[in-house]
Amino acid sequence: MSPWLLGPVQAALALLLAPGLVGAIRWMKARLQNRSGAPPWQPYLELRKLFAKEVVVSNNASWLFRAAPFIVFGSTVAVTLLVPLLAVPLPFEGAGDLLVVVYLLLLGTFFLALAGLDPGSPFGGMGASREMTVAALAEPTMALAIFALAWSAGSTNLGHIAARMLATPTEGLAPGHVLAFAAIFVVTLAETGRLPVDNPATHLELTMIHEAMVLEYSGRYLALIEWAAALKLLVFFTLLGNLFAPWGIAAALTPGALLWAVLTLALKLLALGGVVALVETHIAKLRLFRVPELLSASFILALLAVTASFLLR
Amino acid sequence: MRALFLLLIAGYASGAAAALALGSGALSRWASALGAIVGASAGLALAAGVCIRGAAFSLDAPGFFGPVGGMAFTLDPLGAVFLALTSLVAAPSALYGAGYARLWEGRPALRQVGFMLNVFLLTMSLVPLAGGTLTFLLVWEGMSLSSYFLVMTESDEPEVVSAGQWYLAMTQIGLACLLGSFLLLQSGGPGGFSALRAAALTLPPGTRDAVFALALIGFGSKAGLIPLHVWLPRAHPAAPSHVSALMSGAMIKMGIYGLLRVSLDLLGGGPAWWGGLVLALGAVSALLGVLYALMEHDLKSLLAYHSVENIGLITMGVGAGLLFGSLQMPAAATLALVAALYHTINHAVFKGLLFLGAGAVLHATGMRDMNRLGGLIRGMPWTAALFLVGSAAISGLPPLNGFVSEWLLFQSLLPGIGAPSPLVAVLMVLSLGMLALTAGLCAACFVKAFGITFLAIPRSPEAAAAHEASWSMRAGMVVLAVACLALSIGAFEIVPRLSSFVAPLVGVAGPAPAFSVVLALQTPGGFARMSPSLVAAGLALVVLTAWLAVKAFASRRPVRVGETWGCGRVVQTPRMEYTATAFAEPLRRIFAAVYRPSEDVSVDFHPDSRYFVQSISYHSAIVPWFERYLYAPVISRIRSWSERVLALQSGSAHAYLTYLVLALVLLLGWLVVTGQP
Amino acid sequence: MSPELVSQLSVGGSTLVLLAGLAMLWRRGVRAHIGAFTAQSVALAATTAMVGWFTGDWQLWAVAALLLLIKGVGIPILLERMARRFGTERELEPYVNTATSLLVGGLLVLLAYLVTARLVSVSQLPTRTGMPLAMGLVFVSLFVIISRKKALTQVLGFLMLENAVALLAVLGTHGIPIIVEIGVFLDVALGFIVMQVFVYQIHETFESIDVEQLNRLRE
Repeated sequence: MSPWLLGPVQAALALLLAPGLVGAIRWMKARLQNRSGAPPWQPYLELRKLFAKEVVVSNNASWLFRAAPFIVFGSTVAVTLLVPLLAVPLPFEGAGDLLVVVYLLLLGTFFLALAGLDPGSPFGGMGASREMTVAALAEPTMALAIFALAWSAGSTNLGHIAARMLATPTEGLAPGHVLAFAAIFVVTLAETGRLPVDNPATHLELTMIHEAMVLEYSGRYLALIEWAAALKLLVFFTLLGNLFAPWGIAAALTPGALLWAVLTLALKLLALGGVVALVETHIAKLRLFRVPELLSASFILALLAVTASFLLR
Repeated sequence: MRALFLLLIAGYASGAAAALALGSGALSRWASALGAIVGASAGLALAAGVCIRGAAFSLDAPGFFGPVGGMAFTLDPLGAVFLALTSLVAAPSALYGAGYARLWEGRPALRQVGFMLNVFLLTMSLVPLAGGTLTFLLVWEGMSLSSYFLVMTESDEPEVVSAGQWYLAMTQIGLACLLGSFLLLQSGGPGGFSALRAAALTLPPGTRDAVFALALIGFGSKAGLIPLHVWLPRAHPAAPSHVSALMSGAMIKMGIYGLLRVSLDLLGGGPAWWGGLVLALGAVSALLGVLYALMEHDLKSLLAYHSVENIGLITMGVGAGLLFGSLQMPAAATLALVAALYHTINHAVFKGLLFLGAGAVLHATGMRDMNRLGGLIRGMPWTAALFLVGSAAISGLPPLNGFVSEWLLFQSLLPGIGAPSPLVAVLMVLSLGMLALTAGLCAACFVKAFGITFLAIPRSPEAAAAHEASWSMRAGMVVLAVACLALSIGAFEIVPRLSSFVAPLVGVAGPAPAFSVVLALQTPGGFARMSPSLVAAGLALVVLTAWLAVKAFASRRPVRVGETWGCGRVVQTPRMEYTATAFAEPLRRIFAAVYRPSEDVSVDFHPDSRYFVQSISYHSAIVPWFERYLYAPVISRIRSWSERVLALQSGSAHAYLTYLVLALVLLLGWLVVTGQP
Repeated sequence: MSPELVSQLSVGGSTLVLLAGLAMLWRRGVRAHIGAFTAQSVALAATTAMVGWFTGDWQLWAVAALLLLIKGVGIPILLERMARRFGTERELEPYVNTATSLLVGGLLVLLAYLVTARLVSVSQLPTRTGMPLAMGLVFVSLFVIISRKKALTQVLGFLMLENAVALLAVLGTHGIPIIVEIGVFLDVALGFIVMQVFVYQIHETFESIDVEQLNRLRE
């Protein structure tokens, strides 16, 4: 298979798996809470329903409100082209590295926050303000964790980091890596709006962050935004899984290797999803002003990751 | 090239003369703008010529100011970068100013602004061209004074007068430090910059340190480094908008130019503590700048504090470059300096765009307070879209130019973790964290700035009645917005060129190693690769595909317009929207230790019963603590001393005559004591 | 056991010990603090055992066992008893708030790294890589003592300081003679008993274990 075809295949696979991942987490949470819960493929049905529904737009909203879902969706799909989902080396290796990924996700957050402010509703304003606060506070942790990884691998290029980890498996258990994993896990919870930072379950609890921003969206716009949120979760899980434990990634583009890569990816996603489901069932949501404490703790983890990396050089 | 230089001077001079001669009408506006545009284009061409050819341009004019040494002009590639960015911001701002100046139609202020603007642009363009200390100081002071007059254009408002006072005081303090620095530098022997460069090698280390420290204070106050930045948030909002764009975009960069010239070029780098100090100051400026910007609800003050933040980022690059240079890591030093220079250019462009946009808003509504604006995207669609481009650029979002230079800055700090000294490693780690936090907070601030100003419902009748800016104002902004995108996509060409300019300063011969072409930026050591053009193309492609797919497969029902969901309320008023203060409130509470806000709540009870409240008033203020603990005591002490000295001004003629005689006697006595050869 | 593996494990063990110390800055409840201290003592015992296995020194094994018994089991039981009497108070208003304390903790770790840099470069032992983290824990426990208000938390801070010094000794010099070690343990036990008496007295006098109340003794 040509390496250039790998990019669109990766994106398509990610688009296909993302709603299933969200559904699987919901199903696991339900089982842990002694409910039967909806089947794991429920989000696919929801997306199909939303694409067919009518769109209602606020009379205060401008062109930005209608353009934002496409920008958010587009930037998240662009990220899936850059992360090591299936194979290393990546097709667009020269286009972007881990920093580009972080900033593309910030682009999506930026426009989503603006779209929250556009209809003039106080809920949207509140969601936008809190989302930008959490995003800003999570940035230092992400930067330091990236540098802990890049320092030991020698580059911020994703394919390079994954390849380096594949070559020296014992480095995977180095304290620097474990700490960086923990730090990025906390950032994942914060950025994708999971407990204890935000509650993705109910739509009417108005102390939420992500749901408050997208309150005004309906129909296909809402479908795009929900899909983009699921994709973001998948991207973060892919980074956690395939950067820290890349075993199973295809080194050559043969059908057998790719199939194996898909299987191991699905397994890693389910495992991480299970951990998130456990965490969400176990912990209550934090007040907004306790979230900086959590993010400070993750910053310290990332700081220790960096120091551990260069203590052992 | 000499012709271009003369055209530069001629263009600005004719613009200035036209402003004075042609009265206070449209003709004067356009003539002075045209002169400025001609001068700026000549400057850009001159800079481009030097950059492309790689050879410096020199001109000596010993006739001017002959007795004191004459003037000398030299333009080497480093100076060419700064001349280019000045001209790049000057031309659109002048075009914009032609329309904006209609504000003063028929008043003498129009002539004054036209004249002073051209003088300001001329002196500012000559700063990178200065080849000797006298020339440099002359044009530097000319630049400061002309900008002071520009700031004082609306001098009937008291806050403008106060802003002008602060500005003048800070520039003169800076000039004093620069004088000291250059005097010390010349102690090795007089002459132009080339002679000084050679002589600096013979200076003792104590003198070199003193030169560096004074230059840092002098140039740092012009650039706006903390704690010498206090004039920025006062002067920039007070000046007319296109002048603010020029001051923020080009003038404060001259501080960076001066710092680079003195520390890197003339002194040839120094001990590690120079770089470390500059890096630390930069990091602190960046973080504090963005923190104070978050709390501003005046659009232009917000932008001014963001200038402090970005100068902090640029200074971090410069500091890292100096530090790596002193630690014998030339490749890393080159990368850091390239990142700093590139961010200088980018910031000039997008900050100019943002200030021009803010000026358009001020022109249309008469207000700068975000809490009274809103909904402008309907009345001013062009301005809104262009301001959005500027906001995305300054927040460092791909695929615009701010992202590329922030990426470069991140990558330049990474090698520092491997430096031999652990202090450097710790400094790098802390700087990285502060850089990331600054970037995130900047994005949050611009969501606030754009969202509250342009989106949702107008919060006041003036905002509801806003009209679009005139075509010349729009044209100026469009040029800068296009430049933002072009600088990002053209990065693969610009960055290697910048590295070839910087390399000789750091001691690496010729073009820097490992920079490759063709759509990718490759950092030394093969550390990282990124292609802004591919990212831009990819984003555009994906968004387009998504849009087409949704159009094809989703429901064909038309979009229905309805009321914003209000949880059961009857009608929506502007009071129900989020305000700028509300948006920034979570961050204000989180960083309360830095802000130390003062809060004042007074409750008005009903006269008959304490259980009924008639009104509650809440007042909160943030006074930046350097003003409270650093400047206020100094100012009060100076004031008390001045009052004591005031006693000398007794008004009596006898007293003054006595002073004269006393001075004469003392002078004669001193001559006698020291002896006459 | 190769020296590289020992280096990795030293850093890993010290990181766990340090993280337990930082958890004292993060969590507010007494139960959480006692849990952090127990985890820290267990991690310390494990690290000591690992170094003992590497050097083949039986004394280190004995020290590890003592650590586990006394600091991992014994003292936490006593602390639980104290907590049951006056553990309903949580650190709601420390002198420095939680997020800032964590940041200061991080800065202290960086400072410790600077301070021990020369020591690390001079030492030849493979366990030297964990020393900066142990030093960091010394600073962090001192910070816990000065920034928290409840007497129980300060007692725990002192015990953590003990742990930190012990870790520093193990990593820096592969342990100290067992006689000295036992002497240190006795000192710690005595100190702990004295502190227990003090905490009881404070509680009796002021009905709370808020150390700020001691200001009132001046009147």
